[in-house]
Amino acid sequence: MIPFVAKRLWNGLLTLAALASLTFFIMRLAPGGPFSRNRKISPEVQANIEAAFHLDEPVVRQFARYIWGLMRGDLGPSTRFRDYSVNDLIASGLPTSLTIGFWAILVAGLVGIALGLAGALRRNGWTDYAAGTIGVIGIAIPIFIIGPLMQAYFSVYLGWLPVGGWNEGWRSLVLPVLVLALPNIAYISRLTRSSLIESQRENHVRTARAKGIGPTRVLWGHVMTGALLPVIAYLGPACAALITGSILIETVFALPGIGRFFVDAALNRDYPLVMGITLVYGGFLIVFNILTDLVRGWLDPRVRHGT
Amino acid sequence: MTSHGLKKILSGLALVALLAAGAPAFADDTLDRGVGSEWSSLDPQVNFDAAAAWILADAYEGLVNFDSKGALIPGAAESWDMSEDGKTYTFHLRDGLKWSNGDALVAQDFVNGILRTLNPETASEKGYYFYSTIQITGASALANGETADTATLGVTAPDARTVVVQMETPAPHMLQLMGSFQLAPLHGPSFAANGTATFIDPALVVSNGAYVIKEVVPQSHVLLERNPTYWDAANVKIPFVKYHVTEDVGTELKRYQAGEIDITYDVPLAQMDSLMTDLPGQLLTFPSTYLIYYSFNLSLPPFDNIDLRRALSLAIDRDVLEGKIVKGGAIPTFSYAGGFDPAYSGPQIAEAAMTQPEREALAQELYAKAGFGPDNPLKLSIASTVAEINTKRANGIALMWKKVLGVQTEVNAQERKAWLDLFYTDDWGVFADNLVGDFAGPETFLSYMRPSAEPGYDWVKPEYDAAMDVAAQIPDLAGRYLALAAAEKILLEDYIFAPIAIEPYRHLVKPNVKGFEPSVAGYHNSQFMTLD
Repeated sequence: MIPFVAKRLWNGLLTLAALASLTFFIMRLAPGGPFSRNRKISPEVQANIEAAFHLDEPVVRQFARYIWGLMRGDLGPSTRFRDYSVNDLIASGLPTSLTIGFWAILVAGLVGIALGLAGALRRNGWTDYAAGTIGVIGIAIPIFIIGPLMQAYFSVYLGWLPVGGWNEGWRSLVLPVLVLALPNIAYISRLTRSSLIESQRENHVRTARAKGIGPTRVLWGHVMTGALLPVIAYLGPACAALITGSILIETVFALPGIGRFFVDAALNRDYPLVMGITLVYGGFLIVFNILTDLVRGWLDPRVRHGT
Repeated sequence: MTSHGLKKILSGLALVALLAAGAPAFADDTLDRGVGSEWSSLDPQVNFDAAAAWILADAYEGLVNFDSKGALIPGAAESWDMSEDGKTYTFHLRDGLKWSNGDALVAQDFVNGILRTLNPETASEKGYYFYSTIQITGASALANGETADTATLGVTAPDARTVVVQMETPAPHMLQLMGSFQLAPLHGPSFAANGTATFIDPALVVSNGAYVIKEVVPQSHVLLERNPTYWDAANVKIPFVKYHVTEDVGTELKRYQAGEIDITYDVPLAQMDSLMTDLPGQLLTFPSTYLIYYSFNLSLPPFDNIDLRRALSLAIDRDVLEGKIVKGGAIPTFSYAGGFDPAYSGPQIAEAAMTQPEREALAQELYAKAGFGPDNPLKLSIASTVAEINTKRANGIALMWKKVLGVQTEVNAQERKAWLDLFYTDDWGVFADNLVGDFAGPETFLSYMRPSAEPGYDWVKPEYDAAMDVAAQIPDLAGRYLALAAAEKILLEDYIFAPIAIEPYRHLVKPNVKGFEPSVAGYHNSQFMTLD
């Protein structure tokens, strides 16, 4: 168990290092720089500004400087948001993204599994059709359509919830969490349904039934553990994707998360900020993949590692 | 599920809905203003963007100020005098001015503000105003790092209430640069103690404007509160101002409709028409200093041929383009520096007085003269940004060139930073260009084109530089405007670009907000607004 986690963490670290290097050099291939403008600034002043951010140095030197900073936990200054360092911006945006992501994954997991369960147990009944319909809607309608529609109905027309912003506590959370959860509810319910149906036909389930175990215990003790495996496998990367914030959600709902910093930084060639957020995303993805493997191992002895 | 359980859930849901509906949305002692996407900096010596300038204009006051219509009025300085040669301005500060922490605001604070802007360590792009837009003695050497001796700067404070600005050449427009955007004072002790945190940390901010910064949440909002130590605090009516970041214009519109925002930063183009009828009197559009023009690459044949450039400019039906295709409320123009300051009656291109069919007939003639025709059509590409409004315009122009002249145009839409860099590569035929003037006058535009030989436009025109030199020596505005008009005529006669239109500002303003009025330079200080 412990060697397994250590090995995965070490691999994750290597992946992050590769990610950092690739991003660093690819960013610099994009035309334009953080301070290109259609304004006549004297060349000396332009040079001063670039020197202040070490942009005048050879790229390899800048890379070494960046890695050195990274090892000390310093992600550098932001060139787009001049008042802040990248550390400041991530510290300010990440809690928002995490909050929305956490609730979205919770809602998606609970509602998705419940719908999937309902669909599988009463196959072709009305619950199954309802769950299927929600699933199709959730997958088919993109966030930038469903988001504004919900804003128009719940906020502008009914006036129940704020359209956007981060000023009204839990009320600011409801719509973004719902919209972010919706496509995941759809996936999770479909996944749960099909794997439950499959799992019900498995040999060990039939054996359990034959031994005279009651239907409830068969369902929870024998069917679900197997049926949830693909769901867990899906949830890992989904968690990382949701928790690191959906760029679209943050834009549509005017939320101060790191997803929006990411887009803004890329468009404005804010190299350090793009790097910083890429590493945070990468880190989350790696950690959640490891967690997923651990949970799968715990649920299914066949995939247990190293023990 | 029992009916009892269902009832419980339903009543719970109803309670949630009630709570949600009953919670107060926004207190009406707060003016909620949209600022578009995130401001780049709240550091008054560094910030270069217009949205943050609104926030900073509320928090800091320059020597001069701008009223609700954008007209220049006394600010921290109650009066000023100009020397006879127009090169020296002496500002007299009001008596008893205070910083928000109670410290006395003195003339040296303004000098320190300029010094910090010019200091290479600040890495500010705004020194440009002081060594280029106007030439303050010693500003260039300080900005370029040739000297660090602050005594060489032509801005001094002979006593606590006097600021003297000494320039190399007379510049009647210098007053336009004495507001908070270019020249905010610096509270030296705070900056020395706290560095740049003194501009963003509400606990540390010391400012001198009508409002003080209470709360800053990046990507979300800035909350301002009335500053009791401001000299005119008695006339500041709105207690709180909150600036909301909303990147997406569609979302901003909904926030406005839901009552979360009182004044929007922008309006979705596609909804301009319907908003005009649905929200009568709330959609406000007025000209800005944002000029759109299409530049031709003079160093790339065949654009070195003036007949061709002229033909391309004349073939554009600006009224149809802006009124029927782009539909963003932009004002068609045939001049470069005119249309911003009513006192300036500059020239237009020679064919401005013709009808569009006449212009198109002439365009066809010139196109043929340049050696192009149906068998030998011109092929060109327009370098534009990917922004919807810009590609719409570029495609509209391409269509007109096709229809009138038979030109085969490709629109090369680039992401903004790539588009900016493209300009200096010379790897373009036609460039969808724009320029935002620093103030509502012709000088900000015409000085941008000089020296004419500078890379980019590659337009070598000593006559233009000479005409601008003549204008630069004239201290009085009327005489100077005549000289500037003469220079603009030289510029327009070479058709190095096709002037297209002046972009407007587009805002939605709630009927209960008074005092938000058209202002060409975009000054909208909250201190002049009221909430009914």
